[in-house]
Amino acid sequence: MNGAGDFELELERELHRILDPISAVPIPPRRAPISGGFTKRLLGGAGAALALKLATGVAVAAFAAAAAGVATEVAATGSLNPSNWGQSVTKAVQTCKDNLRASGTRGIGPCVSAIANQHGQQVSDSHRSSDARGNGKDKGKSDANSHDKGKTTGSGNSHRTPGSGGAGGHP
Amino acid sequence: MDTVPEYRPGSEADFERLYRNSYRRILGTLITMLRDRSAAEDCTQDAFERAFKAWKTWRPDAPAEAWLHRIAINVAINGQKRERLQEVGALLKRVGRPTAPADPAVLAERSDLLVALRKLPPKQAAAIVLRHFHGYSNREIAISLEVPERTVASRLAAARARLQELMEGTRAGPKKFG
Repeated sequence: MNGAGDFELELERELHRILDPISAVPIPPRRAPISGGFTKRLLGGAGAALALKLATGVAVAAFAAAAAGVATEVAATGSLNPSNWGQSVTKAVQTCKDNLRASGTRGIGPCVSAIANQHGQQVSDSHRSSDARGNGKDKGKSDANSHDKGKTTGSGNSHRTPGSGGAGGHP
Repeated sequence: MDTVPEYRPGSEADFERLYRNSYRRILGTLITMLRDRSAAEDCTQDAFERAFKAWKTWRPDAPAEAWLHRIAINVAINGQKRERLQEVGALLKRVGRPTAPADPAVLAERSDLLVALRKLPPKQAAAIVLRHFHGYSNREIAISLEVPERTVASRLAAARARLQELMEGTRAGPKKFG
């Protein structure tokens, strides 16, 4: 017991001998926090290459998704102009609304729902056919194929876009 | 701890006061855990930087200095890992070069106790310094080490036993070979 007590006393004496001089050291000014430290470290260090690769991957994926969307809309509407895509839906809704009004029903809910379903079906059909062509291997290829599809099955699709064609048929 | 100044979480002026009041004590603890004084100074600044970011979340029911010690000990543990990697590089650089004359301030910090403390697991070394140099209570040590208060006594006993073993080993060494 004494041994342990002696050791503790010796420990305290030695710690004071070593650390007491620190109470005389000047206190330096506090280091200001660096704003954006994490970003700087990420971009400035070895993580730069990784970050660049990640950013490139995300950008490529976003571009591919956008291109696929454009191809689908082009196939569905037969037009490259995005305003035409919206116009075709607006036109279909308007025609449907007129029909409903004539039959004495109010509101456009059923029209929007029907057209949305129809459009969804077209989009999924178009995706399915582009997957089948590209075998899901190469996005770029399937996008290129979707152009061809506009010429071949795309024309079929434009027939199956009765939202515009069919509506035109109904006065 | 001598006095317990009132601090308000989030107040920059109070944090500056806390920095002035506890800088040397935190530095003292870290010197016993890290390779040298400059590493300890660097980690102390790192610890205050992190503490400042978290200052709004500090709750006054925990003593501010014990809370700071908790952050500083974690920073030092990470610092030790970095040191181990750097040591290999530094050793390779030193090979074949004459040794620089030692700084008198650094010489004062050289002792068997420091060597032994630096061989202990970091939290054990910190526990020894918190109790036997800073005079912390079990509660304050528990907050600093992030352990339940009831385990502090056993941790301290284990740390002292290991330290005693190491000290006896270093004392016996020169005799054996001298």
